[in-house]
Amino acid sequence: MRASFLLITLTSILGIQPAIADVILPDINAKYVTIIEENPTRDAGFVVGDVLDRTITLTVKKPYELVKESLPIEGYEHRYKGQISGIELVKISTEETKHSDSVTHVLHLRYQIFTTGKLAKPAALRAEIVKMRNTTNKDVRQYRIPSYSFRISPLSVFGSVKLKEEMSPFIAPLLLDSSREKLTIKVLIGVLAASLLGLLYMLGMHAWLPRMGAPFAKAYRDIRKMPDTAEGLQQAVARLHESLNKTAGNSVFSSNLADFLQKKPAFSPVKQEIEQFFGLSRQVFFEPNAVTNVSASPKTWLQKFCRHLRDCERGLLPELKSTTNTKAS
Amino acid sequence: MSDTQLADWRNHALTLESEVNKVVVGQESPVRLITTSIFARGHVLLEGDVGVGKTTLLRAFTRGIGGGYQRIEGTIDLMPNDLVYHTYLGEDGKPHVSAGPLLQSGENLSIFFFNEINRARPQVHSLLLRVMAERTLTAFNKEHHFPHMLVFADRNQVEKEETFDIPSAARDRFMMEIPIVVPSDAAIMESLVFDTRFHDVDALVANVPESILQFDQLNGFAAKLQNSITASPTLRSYVLNLWRATKTPMDFGVKVSGVDMNRLVLSGASPRGMGMVLRAARVNAWLNERTAVLPEDIHAVLHSTVAHRLVFSPVYEMRRTEIARDMLSGIINAIATP
Repeated sequence: MRASFLLITLTSILGIQPAIADVILPDINAKYVTIIEENPTRDAGFVVGDVLDRTITLTVKKPYELVKESLPIEGYEHRYKGQISGIELVKISTEETKHSDSVTHVLHLRYQIFTTGKLAKPAALRAEIVKMRNTTNKDVRQYRIPSYSFRISPLSVFGSVKLKEEMSPFIAPLLLDSSREKLTIKVLIGVLAASLLGLLYMLGMHAWLPRMGAPFAKAYRDIRKMPDTAEGLQQAVARLHESLNKTAGNSVFSSNLADFLQKKPAFSPVKQEIEQFFGLSRQVFFEPNAVTNVSASPKTWLQKFCRHLRDCERGLLPELKSTTNTKAS
Repeated sequence: MSDTQLADWRNHALTLESEVNKVVVGQESPVRLITTSIFARGHVLLEGDVGVGKTTLLRAFTRGIGGGYQRIEGTIDLMPNDLVYHTYLGEDGKPHVSAGPLLQSGENLSIFFFNEINRARPQVHSLLLRVMAERTLTAFNKEHHFPHMLVFADRNQVEKEETFDIPSAARDRFMMEIPIVVPSDAAIMESLVFDTRFHDVDALVANVPESILQFDQLNGFAAKLQNSITASPTLRSYVLNLWRATKTPMDFGVKVSGVDMNRLVLSGASPRGMGMVLRAARVNAWLNERTAVLPEDIHAVLHSTVAHRLVFSPVYEMRRTEIARDMLSGIINAIATP
């Protein structure tokens, strides 16, 4: 600051012509410049420390061009009637697009507020003066980017205030800190969702999908886990008997199979397989010498058979081709 | 016993069944049960109305089995000695004693038919039940043996006047109680009425070939048959559960409509009764060409071997046939195997 003051004093003493920036130039004809402003979305409620972004798009037609040295400088302390306004340009960036008869300059201006007060007070993003030079005759003109008015609010309210008079549609409502409550709600919603899922699981007979908990669907899952041993075979046959009985609502034997099929006609397509199953059960539990017409691997056959029963249980028509590999054992 | 012997006897048994079914039409189930009881060496109580063919059925079986057939009618004035002897004045004017129905055929007595057993006095029941249990009788200072004898008795459940209820201990001696009902098939009913061959019972029974079975070999074969047919651990467990269920049906969730199950059963099946169930089931398995008893064999004979052994509260006795049938069906439905 001191260096610049000395420089100005020295030039005036020496009678040196003042620099372009310090003289008031005539305005450029409006037909050569078009402007598009993008100002902050609200004009009130700003407090100390807030940042305001403003984008100015200038299109300068030939023969004029923008004097880039005339663009505002970062950190320059703006004064109004000798007083520091407290609003400072903290960042500027430009983009330039050349056209055949014009050049478009996009100026991104970022201001920060360094002032406050006890009451809301008017303020403005200053009107920036930029210079335009005629490339043919070197004539220099100025262009005034309009200012933008807004209000700076105090950080806290002092004394009694008539809110009705102070209200503005752009002032955001004062918000309480609700992050804790939001977290609680989120946790509760999670618990509720888990409870609902649990309820669904229970209502679905301990299954996530409809009919997933039905007797043969459960049996199919159990049988797949059983070992392929004599003991595992016994368990698998017993498990299927259990499911048959549960489905029928009573004990099913080969002697009352017809009654079962009459009561549950969905299982009619696997009648032959059920008869084979009773033959296998007879061999496994009652008469080891009995002949069955189940394939060489009873465990595999039982799995397929159980899957077919599960299909019937779900109202589907099982694919029976895969189980026609019956063979006398 | 060799498989061939078992198969030969089975063929004979099925031939007997077939021949009897030609004579007594529409009674396939009772015929199968009687065949079963013959090979299980168990006495049979027939239950049915008058004129449904009980006597014809037994005569047909007797002809097929061979051996002696004796019959006595149960009356209120029948005394135990009437079964053993009767006295009469001979042509010489002197009193004579001749053998009664029990002694008449001697050791060859094959079937003894007691018609309307519930009309006889308890004293008569007592004698008969001893003969049934021990197959011996002491008379004229001598012990008489009836090793091949099977008793077939019948009772009419409709008429109650001048009858004596057979006590549960007596009922328990019978292996089976078999209901004989009129066939419901219209063609059979028509045939029974209009077909003249059914009008002459003697001629009808004569159609059954004589001695299809050898009555004096049945005991020996029956014992070997029982040893030939096995019962797996799973089946044993199943039968024990059935037995328990006859005692405490509520424990197995068995219910009968309109009956207080807590008060219904005073006594379930006896050990002798369950033993008879297994004997009959083994025969049924053999008749069906099996070497082991299946649950289906038990079911085939359960009603006829257990129902008459159950002792119900007196309030339910009048409906015992219906209640016993429903309860046993409920037990079969409730108990699973394996």
